[in-house]
This record gives sequence, structure tokens and C-alpha cells, in this order.
Amino acid sequence: MLIAPVHPADLDRRPPDRPAADSGEAGRRAPDGLAAFAPGDQPRARGRAAVSGRLRDGASRVGRLEQQGSARCMLPAVPGRLEAVLLNTAGGVTGGDIFAWEAEAEAGAFLTVSTQAAERAYRAQTGETGRVDATLRLGPGARLDWLPQETILFDGADLARRYEVVMAADARLLMVEQVALGRLAMGETAPRARLRDVWRVRRDGRLIFADALRLDGAAPAVSLDGPGCWAGARAAATVLYVAPDAEDRLGAARAALGDAGRALNGLDAGRGGAPCPAPPPVPSGGASAWRGMLVARLLAPDACALRAALMPLIHALRDAAPPRVWRL
Amino acid sequence: MSDASAAAVQALVAWLSPGYPVGAFAYSHGLERAVADGAVRDAQTLQAWVGDVLARGSGRNDAILLAAAHRAPDDLAPAELAAALAVSRERLLETEAQGAAFARTTAQAWGAGDGGPAPYPVAVGRAAAAAGAPLETALTLYLQAFAANLVSVAVRLVPLGQTEGQRALAALAPLCAAVAAEAAGAGLDDLGGAAFAADIAAMRHETQAVRLFRT
Repeated sequence: MLIAPVHPADLDRRPPDRPAADSGEAGRRAPDGLAAFAPGDQPRARGRAAVSGRLRDGASRVGRLEQQGSARCMLPAVPGRLEAVLLNTAGGVTGGDIFAWEAEAEAGAFLTVSTQAAERAYRAQTGETGRVDATLRLGPGARLDWLPQETILFDGADLARRYEVVMAADARLLMVEQVALGRLAMGETAPRARLRDVWRVRRDGRLIFADALRLDGAAPAVSLDGPGCWAGARAAATVLYVAPDAEDRLGAARAALGDAGRALNGLDAGRGGAPCPAPPPVPSGGASAWRGMLVARLLAPDACALRAALMPLIHALRDAAPPRVWRL
Repeated sequence: MSDASAAAVQALVAWLSPGYPVGAFAYSHGLERAVADGAVRDAQTLQAWVGDVLARGSGRNDAILLAAAHRAPDDLAPAELAAALAVSRERLLETEAQGAAFARTTAQAWGAGDGGPAPYPVAVGRAAAAAGAPLETALTLYLQAFAANLVSVAVRLVPLGQTEGQRALAALAPLCAAVAAEAAGAGLDDLGGAAFAADIAAMRHETQAVRLFRT
């Protein structure tokens, strides 16, 4: 084949400013359309969605469902499982936007949450930060899988996210966050993007896991490409699995990380079997487990390779494939 | 320098010397794996790797935690966060084992701190506060000791000549001071980093067949 298949993200030729589309507040503020947008002005999106899974008649069903502004929560029919798919109708996040997502697996229930598309963080005005807060709650014996698609950071993005997890002692949590650096201008080695991803996980009232991914907008003293940082990778993921059997699954998780490299070289693990744009080098990943939790970090040349590497790992930690939206 | 602060600096130099019995020599912070994988293979890659960990990894985070413990020695939050921020089993071991040994020895031999176990940067921050040691000096010496320990790991493993190792350490000294200055004014909300490759090396160290170091 002469023409390599292209990742859908690479086909996207939208400018790094978010298109002034369906952002709830902007629509109200600017009824006459473009006239309201002075040069440099950007619409501000607000959104909040909350969903819970509730055990009823022995099966997980939707309990609470609330949605406001530019946040939507869809519930596709998935045989035997409850899946919620979150959607940002503003088409991305930029400076000044505020989103709040809440997901809860009530006692004994199993809820999987994903997103309909990759989240795009577009150029923000100087000093304006887009905020996304996610609150996850897990009742006794509950299971929550938080599996959004990747976040793509474009040049000039400024995004601060906070994940607060409160879980019962015997609940099970699987969390994956993937970040990819977006298209670059000529000669640039990394976008001037700013990201703060803060995680706080409390189990039985105790802080058991904290993490913070911190990418700096201004040229930092130490390049992200350094051999201890992203080492030339353009996409990274953190995976957290908290469960009574977390340590028992470490062997399977490590085997899955090893398989990911082989699968990539065979080009058979991409989206729905579609190969990645170019044969990427084997991604780098590691996993560790202690005190009832398992943590993995992954680095890959791009978002497609990262997803391919994550597929077998998620399978190993969930006894099921990732949500259908992951496979496109 | 007043007599009191000179005495406090003397104490810091002793506590953060390679001879202080916290067992620092046994911990490579994942560097043993990075050497085995070829990511660190000479003085140049060593300096880059250690610089990454100092500026965008646990060096900077430890400094922020040390500063928070120095400001509020009785606050439990820095200790809780320091343990929760450990990204692998061996990273947790490294900070807990060194911290417990440091707190015990420093309370018994120097009469500083209550001797209760705490993650390493928190134990150092509390003892430094008890001794009246200036924060930025404590931070710089802590980071310098951390960097020196990693350089000595590399001198043994890569291997590198002693002078090459010292050259890398000398080149990293301004970064230690810069990170210390930033951390002195930072709060717990500023924690965070991007040293994923070093984290992955720490995780993969657990399965390394031949290991000289505990981490």
C-alpha cells in the first residue's frame, strides 16, 4: 500500500482556535452571530453533566442523570452493561470555559464512562484557563470505569483539570487519562501548551493516590523531550486501577504492556483493526502495584499508537474490551 | 551568618551527606533500569536524565513537600500527599524507608524532630524547621544530595569516571539552586511533573533480572 491510512485526528484541519459553534453561553450572549465577537474575543462554554449507575433487579441501570449547558451525557444501548458517553457540544475547551462532570457507581453497580470524541484544548487568551472538574464516586461493592478518549493539546492551550475520586473500601475503580500534543507549526518541537491534570483518590476516607501532570506553556528550563520526561513521545497515558485484586493483576498488566509492543509492530491493534499511520516504534510503558492499587504509565509517538498500546492493558484490567467509542 | 544559622547549616550538611545513615546508596530511583535500557549511557545523557527528575519529576515535588513541612511541621497533609504521590511500589519504599531512618536518627542523635516516621522530604523539612535552618539552604542541599546520589549510581553502573561524574554534578548545581528557589515560594497546589520516562524506569526496575539497587 502506497498511501498510509491516516488517523482521523490528522485529517482534522480546523484552526487551533475553537470554532465558534454551539457553545451554550455564547449562543445566549451573541444572538446576532459574529457581530458580538470582537477580535480576540472567545466564547465561554459552561457545562455540567452528572450520571449515576444504580443496581436494580440485579442489573446496573441509570439512576441520576442531569445535564446543563454544553455538557451532554448519552446512554447507548450496550448489552449487559451500563455505559455513559459524555459529549462536549462546544467542540473543545478553551480559556475561560468551565466544565464539571460527575459520575457515580452506586452500591453494587457497574458504570463505564467514556467520551464521544477526543477532547480538544484550543488556544486560550493569555491568562485565561479552561477548567474541567471531574468528580467520581463509588459506593460499597461498586465498580466505575472512567475511560475517556484522549485529550489533544493545541498550541497555546491552557487547561486545568481536577479529578476527585471518593470510593468505598471494597469498590473497584479503573481510570485512564491520555494526553496527546497536537499539530505543530513548522520548526516547533512542542506546542506552547499549558496543562495541569490533578488527581486525588480517597479510599475509605484516606488519600491513597495523588498525581499531577504538569506541562508548562512558556519554554521550560528542561525540555519535555528529555530522556527522563517524555523522551520524544508525543502522547502519554496514566492508568490507575484500585481494587482488592489490583496486585493479583500486575502480571497480566505487564504482559499486556509487552503485547502492546508486539501488536504495534504487527499493525493490528489500532482502531477497529485499522493500522496506525506509520509503523511506530515500540511504545514505552511500565506498571507497578502495591496496597490494593495498580498504576501504569505509557509513552507513545502519537495518540494512535498510544491507544493501540492501551487496548490490551484495559482488557487485562477490565475483563472486557474498552467501550465501543474507542474503536471507531 | 549568625552563630545560630551557621549551626543549622552545619546540621543540614551532616544530615544530607552521603554518610548519613538513611541508606541513600541503596536507591537508584529507577536509574539502574534507565542505564540497563540504554537511556542513560554517558555523562551527557546522565546529566539530562537527572536534570529531568530534578526539574520535572520527584526532585521538584520533594522540594515542594519539604518546603510545606518546613512551614508547618505539624501539618499532616504534606506527609499524606508525599506517600500518595509515589507512582510505584519502589518509589514508595524509597521515600518511606529513608524518611523513617532519617527521622529516627535525627531525633536520637541531633535532638531535632520527634522521630516519627514520615516520607523523606517531609522528615527533612520538619527537622530543618526544628533546627531553625533556613528553608532555601535546606532545599538546595537536599536537591544537591539527591543529584549527587544519582550521579554516584551512574558512576558505578554506566560506568563513568569520577571526574566525569563530578562534572555532571557541577553542571547540575545551578538547576538544584533554581528548583530550590522556585519550591521555596511554591505551595502544594504547584505539585506535579512530567517525568514519565523516569517513572516508567522505576516501574520496570521491579522486573529487572540483575539488580544492585533496591529501587
